[in-house]
Amino acid sequence: MAEYQEDKLLDARGLLCPMPIVKAGKQMRDMEDGQILKIFATDRGSIVDFPAWCEDTGNELLKWSEEDDGLVFFIKKVEEEEDW
Amino acid sequence: MTPAEVRAAQQEGAAVLDLRTPHPFAAEHLEGALSVQFNRADLVDRVEMVFPKDLPMIMHGEPEAIGKVAAKLLSDAGFNVQGHLEGGLKAWKEDGLPVVQLPSLDVDELKERLDEFRVVDARDPFEFKYGHVPGSGILSWTEAWYEADSAEDDPPIAVICGDEIRSVLVASILARKGKSAELVTGGMVDWVERDYPIEKGMD
Amino acid sequence: MIFKQFRYEPLNQASYLVGCPKAKEAFIVDPIEGLGSDFYVLEAADLGLAIVGVFETHVHADYVSCARELAEVNGCPHYLHEAAPTTYEYTAFADGDVFSVGQVDVTCLFTPGHTPEHTSYLVTDKSRSEEPWAVLTGDCLFVGDVGRPDLLVGDQALDVMDEGERAQTQFKTITERLFSLPQHVEIYPNHYGGSLCGGVNMSGKVSSTVYYETRYNLAMQKPDAGAFAEFVRDTAKPLPDDYEKIKSYNLGLIDKADLHGAGV
Repeated sequence: MAEYQEDKLLDARGLLCPMPIVKAGKQMRDMEDGQILKIFATDRGSIVDFPAWCEDTGNELLKWSEEDDGLVFFIKKVEEEEDW
Repeated sequence: MTPAEVRAAQQEGAAVLDLRTPHPFAAEHLEGALSVQFNRADLVDRVEMVFPKDLPMIMHGEPEAIGKVAAKLLSDAGFNVQGHLEGGLKAWKEDGLPVVQLPSLDVDELKERLDEFRVVDARDPFEFKYGHVPGSGILSWTEAWYEADSAEDDPPIAVICGDEIRSVLVASILARKGKSAELVTGGMVDWVERDYPIEKGMD
Repeated sequence: MIFKQFRYEPLNQASYLVGCPKAKEAFIVDPIEGLGSDFYVLEAADLGLAIVGVFETHVHADYVSCARELAEVNGCPHYLHEAAPTTYEYTAFADGDVFSVGQVDVTCLFTPGHTPEHTSYLVTDKSRSEEPWAVLTGDCLFVGDVGRPDLLVGDQALDVMDEGERAQTQFKTITERLFSLPQHVEIYPNHYGGSLCGGVNMSGKVSSTVYYETRYNLAMQKPDAGAFAEFVRDTAKPLPDDYEKIKSYNLGLIDKADLHGAGV
């Protein structure tokens, strides 16, 4: 599977559901279109939270996996397009 | 605070925040207690999103060190913390004070008995929209404290979220308001993992 | 699974959390008083995990343990191998016993030598594989070195086995029990770097693998147990300060006040 190179890193380990999403939302606001955010999380709820959040915001969930020290998500920022 | 002092404060309207993980809470907790799982990173943020700042609160952590730390974090953030339960659940029970359970069922049982429950999803609207248990409604965790009074509980409510953190919180709020509520363990993560049917959208 | 190594730098000591996020439960292995019982309680809580068992690889002689207190405040068992000669009660296990938190198995692998009750813990994450991926080797095997066999105090075995014999047992244990594990298995020791519980070759690195240590652990390159025992004796560091006092406390023979701050 392709590895992605992140532009920003968010360590949300130890945050409880749904705070990883809240923090990711704040982080994303400071990022440019097309940049990639890598997130570490330990809360199991993140497995369903991040896909839902990406669909809601239009950001793209590139990949997620379960590692020995928790969950890892790669999300690409996609700016909302007003007209298309 | 001693168990008797905590009980007296509860009768004056104080809320006990049970800081343990969902399963021990479901198995046994102080009557009227609310489940707010502890961590240092975001306990304050979560409590802020759920409860009014002037609500009198008492911490119940096991071991007691957790109750002490939570009391400090929340009172530093301006919450109305009255203290923490000394001696924990053990001392409470030794004083003959009431404990209750939160009934729970896993996703397999929920699927079997779906028509026996009103399923309530405790997550935020965007998560609910993305996929929820067919026929379920939403009582978002940030609204629950204010809206639980008007919840219908016949048939009884089964509360679900992504995993269990928010569902156990909402179920405990419903129970405190006298509603009949159960916890769905494993949450949507288990539901999706088993490929059970999903409904999308807001209605 | 959730796996965390806690390093207590003043004594080059490592303790561990092994947990399952689904079961929301965790075991703590070899907790140290220097960090303290509350430290582990809060670390586990931060990960959303309740502590349901406290394990020790052996009764320590070089640092004060907080396993008894940690088990007590959590109302959970304090596990030691059945040969541990303490004066207090603990929950005894035997070689091969398996304890689980959710999808994670901890298998007791009896590895005597450093002490007669010494046990390593094999960790298997069944959510990924039935094969083990790590072993907590305590003071049996370190990165680059092995545990010294000359710190016994208060053990019945002191009378029945001399230092040389214990070194030989250590060699056999490592060869037969640890180096027979699958090569990929990661090694997580109780000490690293300057700790006095091993010899001069102990690496500052905090983990290794069976593959690597089989080939490059200097003591284990010796052809037989006799040469091994000699090598371990020649490369030993000075004895840790107050080790007799520390071990006596960890065995329950003296009170915390009698330590006068030793081993923390």
